[in-house]
Amino acid sequence: MEDRINELTEQIVKRFKDSGFDVDAKEVSKRLKLLIFEFKVPESEAVRTVTNYLMKELDISREQLVAESPLVKIADITTPGKWVSLKAKVVQLWDATSPNVSQVGLIGDETGIIKFVIWAKAGKGEVEEGKSYLFKNVVTDSFGGRMQVNVNRSSQIVEIDEDVQLPPRELEVVGALIAIQQNSGLIKRCKLCNRTMTKDICPVHGKVEGYDDLRIKGVVDDGENYYEVILNEDNIRALTGIGLNEARKIAEEKLDRNAVLTELKTRLLGRYFRVVGTRGERYLIVREVEFLKPDIKTIAGEIL
Amino acid sequence: MNGRKREVARRLFAYEFNRSTHKIGGEDERSPVYVLTPTGMRCNRVFVVGVLLDKEETRPDTNFWRIRVSDPTGVFIGYVGRFQPDALETILEVEPPELVAIVAKVRLFEGETRNFASLRPESIAVVDSDVRDYWVCETARLTLERIKQMEERSSEDAELAWQIYNPDLEEYRTIVRQAVQSVVAEYGVVEEAKEKAAREEEKEEIEEIEDIDEFEEEFDFEEEEWDLSDILGE
Repeated sequence: MEDRINELTEQIVKRFKDSGFDVDAKEVSKRLKLLIFEFKVPESEAVRTVTNYLMKELDISREQLVAESPLVKIADITTPGKWVSLKAKVVQLWDATSPNVSQVGLIGDETGIIKFVIWAKAGKGEVEEGKSYLFKNVVTDSFGGRMQVNVNRSSQIVEIDEDVQLPPRELEVVGALIAIQQNSGLIKRCKLCNRTMTKDICPVHGKVEGYDDLRIKGVVDDGENYYEVILNEDNIRALTGIGLNEARKIAEEKLDRNAVLTELKTRLLGRYFRVVGTRGERYLIVREVEFLKPDIKTIAGEIL
Repeated sequence: MNGRKREVARRLFAYEFNRSTHKIGGEDERSPVYVLTPTGMRCNRVFVVGVLLDKEETRPDTNFWRIRVSDPTGVFIGYVGRFQPDALETILEVEPPELVAIVAKVRLFEGETRNFASLRPESIAVVDSDVRDYWVCETARLTLERIKQMEERSSEDAELAWQIYNPDLEEYRTIVRQAVQSVVAEYGVVEEAKEKAAREEEKEEIEEIEDIDEFEEEFDFEEEEWDLSDILGE
């Protein structure tokens, strides 16, 4: 038990020292012992109480105290509701969609990229694209099936003099196209905003004129990971010889726009591809795609 | 998405699939069901490439089809019905035998003596032998990796697989090797055949020049002379 008290004392002393304040270890230890041994207060509460007492004594605010959240890598963020600290670079900022949000975008380190939100209430300064920061005491969260981190009042953002490396944005994947999703094939987009329309209706502008486009939203799977990919007209033409004009012809002949999707599925589903593209938050935007031309003899030789 | 990630399509051979009897998850209606395989793989969705050997309506006019798909190690059994419209569309069109690539969810039927794993295809596509050959190699590589993890007991699932199946890993290694060899052998044969054809072509060219009159005479025929009904059994 004595050891545990020493451990906790050290933690508290270190936390204040890291923030530039000296506290008396004996005093800390005495208070912890009193709370834990005499009053049977749980450890975490005892630590919190002693910390609060010291903050009051030294007249320092919570912001001045260095966060204790463990420094993690983005790839390790898998569960919501955890306090963490991150060293990351701002990859991209988006327009905030709500007045409650001060800034929103993507941050990344060498292990991955994740969405972040700075709440307006947090009252933090703004971050800039391309700069690296220490995001202290941020909370992990899950939104729409994806992980993100939230910056709140207890968080801190400190610019650091270090260029955090990002994972290679361009990615090469070899795998089977195992699914072609809805809204693929010959689609219509809104002339005003380019959004895909369903039944001639734009989700934002309502019933407006649209224009034809050809694309595939699909899933490439290598047995260990899956990648949601977007193939554009050029990609599709390179693979099948079917471009926008040919697609229109198929639709006219069959009197059915869906015939294009059926044709693409027949030609592409279940085949292996080599795909090179840029990784976005969710989709791999494909630059180059080709049917995999495997050298079976060599590959098999390596296995045997 | 509902916060749930997509399941990766796992690769495994029919031999291992048909020896999988253990279910993980699925306690409540919404939790995904996984089948634990003898080499410690947890799978919910698979990607398999093989020969569609036959399709058969379980009962007449039910539009519920039982299919058998073979890879070099054994046969996958699958069931396609109206709730898998994409797969059904292909099944109605294709005539076995035909090479197909199947993306499927795995099902475990609880039998009286033991459980049986089967496929419930999401999509079925007719493919060529290049796809099959690459699939065999890929599946072999991934299976060997799992076998290694079993030996190292490096994951919870590996540990669980030891407890449930206590597999003879050498047996699985042999099966994997045989599968790959069957593919390589075919390449050997194809190449040999090509060489042989090239050699014979040369020879024929020479003969052709010599026998050109005879050749023409022999093959100068009217189409009607060929009655194929005997051969075709019509």
